[in-house]
Order: sequence, then C-alpha cells, then structure tokens
Amino acid sequence: MILQRLFALFLLAVCTALAVMAWPYQAAFSYEPVGPRAYPLLMLGLMAAGLLYLAFRPTPIVHKDDEPQLDRETLNKIGLCVALLLVFAATFEPLGFIVSSILIGVPMARLYGGRWLPSVVIIGLMSIALYWLFDRVMDVPLPLGLLDVLEN
Amino acid sequence: MDTLGYLGQGFGVALSPYNLVTALAGTLIGTVVGLLPGLGPINGVALLIPIAFALGLPPESALILLAAVYLGCEYGGRISSILLNIPGEASTVMTTLDGYPMARQGLAGVALSLSAWSSFIGAFIATCGMVLFAPLLAKWAIAFGPAEYFVLMVFAIVCLGGMAGDRPLKTFIAALIGLFLSSVGIDANSGVYRFTGDSVHLADGIQFVVLVLGLFSISEILLLLEKTHHGHEAVKATGRMLFNFKEAASVFVVNIRCGLLGFIMGVLPGAGATLASAVAYMTEKRIAGASGTFGKGDKRGLAAPETAIGASCCGALVPMLTLGVPGSGTTAVMIGALTLYNITPGPMLFAQQPDIVWGLIASLFIANIMLVILNIPMIRIFTRILAVPNWALVPVIAIITAIGVYAVHATTFDLFLMIGIGIFGYILRKLDFPLSPILLGFILGGLMEQNLRRALSISNGALDILWSSPISISVWALTIAMMLLPLLRIWRKRSLQRRALADV
Repeated sequence: MILQRLFALFLLAVCTALAVMAWPYQAAFSYEPVGPRAYPLLMLGLMAAGLLYLAFRPTPIVHKDDEPQLDRETLNKIGLCVALLLVFAATFEPLGFIVSSILIGVPMARLYGGRWLPSVVIIGLMSIALYWLFDRVMDVPLPLGLLDVLEN
Repeated sequence: MDTLGYLGQGFGVALSPYNLVTALAGTLIGTVVGLLPGLGPINGVALLIPIAFALGLPPESALILLAAVYLGCEYGGRISSILLNIPGEASTVMTTLDGYPMARQGLAGVALSLSAWSSFIGAFIATCGMVLFAPLLAKWAIAFGPAEYFVLMVFAIVCLGGMAGDRPLKTFIAALIGLFLSSVGIDANSGVYRFTGDSVHLADGIQFVVLVLGLFSISEILLLLEKTHHGHEAVKATGRMLFNFKEAASVFVVNIRCGLLGFIMGVLPGAGATLASAVAYMTEKRIAGASGTFGKGDKRGLAAPETAIGASCCGALVPMLTLGVPGSGTTAVMIGALTLYNITPGPMLFAQQPDIVWGLIASLFIANIMLVILNIPMIRIFTRILAVPNWALVPVIAIITAIGVYAVHATTFDLFLMIGIGIFGYILRKLDFPLSPILLGFILGGLMEQNLRRALSISNGALDILWSSPISISVWALTIAMMLLPLLRIWRKRSLQRRALADV
C-alpha cells in the first residue's frame, strides 16, 4: 500500500516535471490549430488525475501463491543483476560482443544458481555460437571489440 | 466470390516453398520461445523484428514469419502449462486447471495433442470469420475520417480498461504511459523536439523494439531471480501421443462454441486471449454442470480455453489488418514490425497489397496445420527443452535481448534505455500494473495524435467535429458503455457484499 502510494506520488512528480518541460513547446510557424503541446499535456493531465486517485485510494495488490515475498537477499540479487546489465551495456562496444557477454554472462549464471565450471563452459560456448549465428549467418552486425585483432 | 479468389491468391503466396520454410521455421522458433520461461509471444515476435529485417526478408515473408512465431509461442506456452503446471503466460492459466491433472493421469501426450487440435479448430473458425468479415470491415472503414479514427482509438483504450476486470484504473494509467511515451521525439508536423532532453538518440523517438524488450524481457529476467530456488519436475510424456476419434468427437461441440466466442473476444480491442480463455472455461463449466469433472482432468476443460485462445489470437488480427488498431500486445508488436517495412495497416491495405493480407491469412491456416503435425514427433524434444535450468537460460536470454536491441540502431544508448525501461517495467509489475496496455498505448499514441490534429485542422479548431458524424456518435456511445462496465461490476460486487453482511 505505502509503496504504491509512494510510486503514484513519484510518477505524479515526474508528470509535473514533464508538463513543465512541455510548456514551451510551440511551433515557430504553424498551419494548424493544434500545436505540438496539446497532446502530451492532455495525456499527462489524464495520467496525473489517475495517479492522484491511486495515491489516495490504492488498489490492493493480489499476490500469487508462487510469488515469494521480497526479502533483502532477493533485492540484493536484483541490484546485482541490474548492475551486471549496466556493465554489459557499457562494455558492449569497447570490449566487443563475445568478451562482454562472457564477462557478464558467467556472474549472471552464478546469480541464478549455476556452478562455476558449467557456467563458464556454457556461457563461453553460447557467446561464440551466438556471435557466429547473428553476425555471420543472419547479418546482424555485432562489435568484435578486443577480438578485432583476430579477424585479420 | 472475390474473397475466395483473393484467398486462392493468398494460398499461392503462402505455399511458395520459400514461405513454407519460413512458416515452418517460425512455428519451431515460436514453440521453443513459448516453452522457455520468461519469453512469451510478445518478446518472441519483438526479437525477430530486427532479425527479419536484417535477413532482408520481403514484407510478406516477414509477416508470415511473425504470425507463425505468434501461433508457435501460444502453442509452446501450452506445453509448460500442461507438463509443469506453470502457465507460460497469463492466457494459459486456464489450461493448467485441467491439462495438468490429465498429464498426471498419464494422458500427457493426449492432452497435448488434443489441445493442439482444439486450438487448430479455434484458429480455423476464426480464420473463416476473418475471411468473411475482414473485407467487409475494411470496406466500411474506408468511410472513416480522422475524427472517426480518433474516437475509435479512444474506444480501444477505454476497452482495455473496461475489459481488464479487477484493475481498470491501473490499466488506464498504463495505457496513458504508453500514449505519452509515443510523443517523445521530433514532432512530425512542426519539427519541435519533444522530451528529448537534447539527446540525439531520442530525436527519433523511443524505438519500439527497445520498449518491448525492456518492458518484457528485462523485467522478466529480474522477476525470474525471485524464483531461482524453486525446482520443477516435468511430468513425463509417455504412452499414447495422439488423441483418438472418440475423444475428439466428445469435445467437438465445445470446440465450435468456444471458437465462436474466442473469435468475437479476439476482435474486440483489449479483450484478448486471457479473457477469452477464462470466459470459455467458465461457460463450459456451467454448461457441463454436474456431469463435468472440471478441475480434475476433464477433456472439455482443456479444450474450451485452448479453442478460445486459438480463435482469439487469429481474431485479434482482424482489427489490426482492417483498422490498423491492434487488439492485443502481440498484434501491437506486429504493427510495429509492419511500420518498419513502411506498411501502414488499415483499410487501404486490403486494396493496395492483397498479397500481404491474404498471404498472411492463408499462412495462418498452414501454420496451424504444421503445429498439429509437429506436435507428434517433436514432443519429446520439446519436453527436454523444459529441463534447461534457469542459470543457463537467463544469461542467454539477456544476451539475445541485447542483440535484438543493438540490431535496430547499433548504439549502446538503446541498451541503457532498455535497461532503464526494464527496471521501470519490473516496478510496475511488482505493483500489479499490466504491461501490455503500455505497448498498445505506444502504438496507438502516434496515430491518435495525428488523427486528432488532422481532424481539428479540418474543422479549424472546432471540437464538435469529434462528435458530428453518426459513426463517431455510435462509437462514443460504445465508449461510454465500456466506461460504465467496471463501475457496474464494482457496484454489483459491493451490493453482493452488503447482502452477505446482512445475512450474517
């Protein structure tokens, strides 16, 4: 409940900020009666109304049976997972696809309960296989990064 | 008769060897994707968009591939719900109720093939319905002006909320988030940069694939973290693999009834497979009355939701093809794919590119038959895929998702944006917000704004153009009815509660 209220209020603040951002949007010269400002403001206004209602009267969250309660351990894991994904995004181009996916894939496999050796083997093989499949077979260009040297 | 001629032409397109192979590959990929936890039809179709584009598939083949993947995913979701009692996605929840008990009784193979058969009949009925009604609807939709379109889209959004049942407000907010997100980027009419924060990468707007994969894949990856310590044992599919004639005959009436129901629910925007399967199951349970063993492995209880899902999946393509208004999350993704090919779905599509429309309809028939046939030899392999542990699966999903996003623009900015959207999606999910309205809103948003502005340009700013034609007035009436629906439901629930209190 309290989380839901906080979230609704947070989104409401975001809405207001975006509305302030949208206020100066005006076409330099325009041939039509409705400018670029009206539609986003309309949507933000409706959203704000909905969120206000939600902040005062939050609807109960239905918990499914198989959904365990969030504890500190899981939250830590989620934080770690997000960090790994961010590292992946940051190293994707400089280190290249294969190196960066091994770099984050192995700790991620560990995070989901894999053991060291199988994780390293499977993720290593999968990274190379996926690179070959997408870059070579399906023409989706992926960065080689550090392994650039190997190509020539 | 025109229609039959076009359908023949469509089969000509779909039966070309190239497209047959495409459909086969699509159904296989789709089934595997649907099987894996964390990947559903929405991610499956979204991941394939950049790849289909990179492969240089012609538009009709790409569309056939996506439709085949869509059907395959729905089928794959069924396997995990029957053998593991874990619904692969929301729409297959009803399948677990009777499918899993059947599997426990040693009828796993029968349950799987019977569900494939049911969904085939459902899809067949819906495809027939589509052949009959889609051209009519398209012809009628040509009369739509921008004002009517705007009202229609308002109706579609309100429908989402009205159909959502227990959480109309959250659905509505989610749809509005999508509608708003579509306005990010350069405004096509005036050239004003909106909400880009002076970033070059956002000038083009948020990429659809980035939004979909962030919302669905990344949030699912985070969600799977909570469930790592749970092990699941699949029921072994042994014994008879195929249902016999008596079993098929015993559910045939159910198939027909639920097929029609599913088709209608599929055509309505916002209702979709989840609601269709639930309504079908409940209806059949009531019709069967005391004679049924629903919940303990009744074949009718398996056939009813499956037929309805099959029918509504194909039914959802009707509003998408004729009006350009998607009926479900997955069709929203398919519209996103079509726009990549510079094809605008809508009434003119039937007139201008009959090959694409009828080729797609014909390939739905073919993909359905393929699924039934594939089921028999492949089921053992499919069940083995279910045994892949999460630790090996999730990193690979993350890597493939990143490839899909990177393939669109080849910038790492999109990767960061995807992660951000993913975290937002995860929080929304934890707070019980539905995610697919965001997608629908995102797809409809651009169209909605364009049509609103066009309509108001025609009337020179006078708002009454929005309710001046008979079509728009009737759509407004439907919209209001839809808005009252959840209120009515709440009111009924309250009065029931009060009566229960008075009885005590």
